[in-house]
Amino acid sequence: MKLGIVTDSTSDLPATLVEEHNIQVVPTILILDGKEYLDGIGITREDFYTRLPSLHSPPTTAAPSIRDFTTPYETLFSQGCDHIISIHAASQLTTIINVAYQAAQEFPGKVTCVDSGSLSLGLGFQVLAAAEAAGTAHVGELGLKSALDAIESTRKRLQLSAVLDTMEYLKRSGRVPGAVAALGGLLSIKPMIALVDGEVKAIGAVRTTKQADERILKILLEMGELQRLAILHTNTEPRARNLLNEMMSQAAQSVPTDILFVNVTAVIGAHLGPNGLGFAAVRKTPS
Amino acid sequence: MSDPERTARVKKFRRLPIDGQSLKRLIEAGLIWLRTNQEIVNSLNVFPVPDGDTGTNMTLTMQAAWNEVKDSGVRNLGEMAALISKGALMGARGNSGVITSQILRGFSRSVNDKATLDVETLVKAFGEARDTAYKGVVRPVEGTILTVIKEVAIATEAALGPVKDPIEMLEVAVKAADEAVKKTPDLLPVLKQAGVVDSGGKGLFFILEGMLRHVYGDSLETPTMSLQPMSAMNLQGALEEVEEGQDYEIVVDFVPLGELDLGSFYGRLEEMGTSIQVGEGEGMYRMHIHVPTEKRYEPIDYIMGIGTVTKVAIENLLAQMEEIQKSAQIKFATVEPGNIAVVVVSPGQGLSKIFASLGVAAVVAGGQSMNPSTQDILNSFENLPTDKVIILPNNKNIILAANQAKEVTVKKVFVVPTRTVPQGLTAMLALLPDGDLEAVAEKMIKAMSAVKTGEITIATRTVEIDGVSVKDGQVIALLDGKLALAAESVEQGVMDLLEKADAGGYELITLFYGAGMAHAEANRIKDVIRGKYSNLEIEVQEGGQPHYQFIISIE
Repeated sequence: MKLGIVTDSTSDLPATLVEEHNIQVVPTILILDGKEYLDGIGITREDFYTRLPSLHSPPTTAAPSIRDFTTPYETLFSQGCDHIISIHAASQLTTIINVAYQAAQEFPGKVTCVDSGSLSLGLGFQVLAAAEAAGTAHVGELGLKSALDAIESTRKRLQLSAVLDTMEYLKRSGRVPGAVAALGGLLSIKPMIALVDGEVKAIGAVRTTKQADERILKILLEMGELQRLAILHTNTEPRARNLLNEMMSQAAQSVPTDILFVNVTAVIGAHLGPNGLGFAAVRKTPS
Repeated sequence: MSDPERTARVKKFRRLPIDGQSLKRLIEAGLIWLRTNQEIVNSLNVFPVPDGDTGTNMTLTMQAAWNEVKDSGVRNLGEMAALISKGALMGARGNSGVITSQILRGFSRSVNDKATLDVETLVKAFGEARDTAYKGVVRPVEGTILTVIKEVAIATEAALGPVKDPIEMLEVAVKAADEAVKKTPDLLPVLKQAGVVDSGGKGLFFILEGMLRHVYGDSLETPTMSLQPMSAMNLQGALEEVEEGQDYEIVVDFVPLGELDLGSFYGRLEEMGTSIQVGEGEGMYRMHIHVPTEKRYEPIDYIMGIGTVTKVAIENLLAQMEEIQKSAQIKFATVEPGNIAVVVVSPGQGLSKIFASLGVAAVVAGGQSMNPSTQDILNSFENLPTDKVIILPNNKNIILAANQAKEVTVKKVFVVPTRTVPQGLTAMLALLPDGDLEAVAEKMIKAMSAVKTGEITIATRTVEIDGVSVKDGQVIALLDGKLALAAESVEQGVMDLLEKADAGGYELITLFYGAGMAHAEANRIKDVIRGKYSNLEIEVQEGGQPHYQFIISIE
C-alpha cells in the first residue's frame, strides 16, 4: 500500500522536509486589510509581523475551500497512492479539519482525516512521524496502521508552549476560554500558554521579556531528553537563538541533532502577536 | 403589499408546481434575506472581536450556491438542487458555511429523482438535510445550527398529514427554526454566558424565512426589526454603548392606539437617536432610545401621537455613567469547587481591581496602619466553595494574622508571605487554579522574590534609622521595606529611589499611585522617569491606597 500525506500550512513544515517526504500542504488564508493572501504567498512573515501592530483592522484568517483539498487528494491518487492520511490543525481552533473531512467524502474509504489537536510544529511533527512511517514500505493495511500509530505515539510525547508579548491578540482571536482571556485585564502581562489536546491553557504569566525567556527555558529543560525540537517565535529570532544556546549549555545531551527554527506562520501569528517565543518538542520516552 | 394581494400571491404559489426554477428563486430569496440581515448574524458572536464572522461566511456560502445556478434554465427540481449543492459545497466558508452546504447537500440527495416538490418530498428532504449535516461534522455540538435543522426536521415530520402543501410546510419549518434558535442558549452554556443566541442557527432561520417572505411577496431588502419581550430588554447593556452626543436616555411605556407598524416606528426613531430597543408585554410597549440633549422630548411627543403614554423616564446619561464608574463592582474570579482560591489583603480599591483581574477570589481591605484581624481574613475565604486556599498578606504586619487564620480553619491553607503589594502581584502570576496546592504555593514563593518594591510616603515624625535622618513631614522612600532616603518632593523621592535601586538594569517599572494623588500628576512623574530611563517600560496604575503616594514595582 502506498500512503499519501496531506496537511495544511498551519503545520509550519519547512519546504525541504515537505519535498523530502512528498507531503501535500494545503495553504490556509490570511485576510489583511481586506485583501486575501494564501499562506506564505505574497507577504513574508517578517513583513507581516512588522506591519501587524499598525494595521487598521485586525487581520483575520479563513479555512481553505473543499476544492483546495480535493485537488491534492487527486494529485496523490494519480501518483499511485492507495490511501491518504490528511492531518490538520486542532478542530477546537479552526474548521480546517471539517473542510478536509467534507472533501474526503468525495473519496469514500480512501482518505483518513486526523485531528492533530495541535498547531505549528506540534502538528508538523505528527505529520513527519506519519510520513516517516509511510516511507518505511509497509504493505497492506499494516502501512496505514503503523502511520496512525506513529501519529498517536508522537502526540502522547508532544508539548507545545509559548510566552506571548501581550494578551491583546489572543483575547481578540476569540479562541481561548474565558478564564484565559480574562487574565490580566488591567495590568499588562505576558501570558504563558500551552496547547493541550486542542485547547489553549494558561500556565502562568510574567511581566518582562527576561522573565519570559527564563521561564520558557525552564519549561523546556523540565521535558528531559528530546526526540524532536522546534524553537518557535513570532519575529524574534535573536531570542529564539538565545533560547537554544542556553539549552545547549545547560542540557546539551537532551537536544536532538536536527533543530528547527520557525518564524511561525502569519495565519497563527495573527492570533498571537509579534515577539512571542515558544517551542514544540517531542520527548524520547512517554512522560 | 395589501392582504388580498398577498393572499392571491400565496394562492398562485400553491397552485403552481415547485420545479427547479422555483427552487432557484427560493434560494435567491434565502440568500438576499440572509445578506440583508448579515450584520445581525455577525453581531451574535460570543467573543467581542471575533475572527471569521458567521453572517459573512454563510452569506458567501449561499452566494456560491446562487452563482452556480443563476444562469441556469434547468426545470427539473433534482438537477437544480444538485447544482445548488455543488456550488455551496465548493464555496463553503467557516463552520456554519460548511454545515449549510451539508444541509443543501442532504436536501439535494433526497430530491435527486424528483421533477417537482410535493409536501412529502419536502419533509423527507429536511430529514435527509439534518442527517447529512450531523454526519458532516467531526464532533456535533447541540445548541448550534445543527439543532435548528434537527428541530425543523422533527416539526415538519410531525406536521405531515394535517399540512398538505409545501408552502404551508415551509411556514411550519420557519416557525420551528425560530423557536429552536431561541432555545440554543439553554443547550450551549457559552451562548447563555454571552447573552446571545447561536449565530449559525439564526443564519439558517433567515435563509428559510427569506424563502417564505418571497412567497408572501414581502420585502427582502429591509433588515428585520427586533421586537423582544419586555423582560429581555437589556437597558443596562445599552448604557455601555453610549455614543458621543447622545446625552439622554429616554424610556417610554405606551399602549398604541391601533396596530403598531414596527417598520415606520423604527424608521422615525432612527431619525432621532441610537441604541433603540422596543419591548412588548401584555399589550403594552416599552421604547428605549439615546438622544442628543436638544431632542430629548421628541420621542415622547412622537409616541403621544400614536398611542397613550403611561410612563416616561428621562435620564442624563453622562451623570449616570459617572455614577456607575464610581460604584463599579469588582469582579472576582469564580472559584471552581476543588480548585485553589487566593485571597489577598489589599490597601486600595484600584489595587483590589488589579488583583481581581489576575484571578483573586476575595480581597480583605487592609494594609499599612489598618491591619485586618484574623477574623477578617477568615471570613474572606470561609464561604468559598473550596478547601484549598492561598493567602497573600502583602504586608509584613499582616503575615501573623494570616498564619493564625490558617491555624483556626479546617481548610487547607498556605500563607505565601508576601510583604509588599508588588510581591503579591508577582506571586499571583504563578497561580494555576487547578494545580497542586503545595506546588503552586512554592512557585509563588519563588516568583515573589523576582520583584523589587519601592514605597513613597510622608514621614510622621523626626527620626534617624539605618543612617537616614528624616524630619517630620518630609517625603521618604522605602526600598524592599527598608528606609532608603528622604527627599523634599515626591518626584525627587521617586527619582532618588530608582537610582538607589539600580533601576537602569531592569526592564519594567509599574507605578501604583495612591488615593491622594491625581492621575495627571502620576503621569507627569512617569514622563520624568522616562526622560532618564528611556530603555525601560513604565506603566501607571491607579492603586487607591491611603498614605502612600506611590507603590512602585521594579522588575
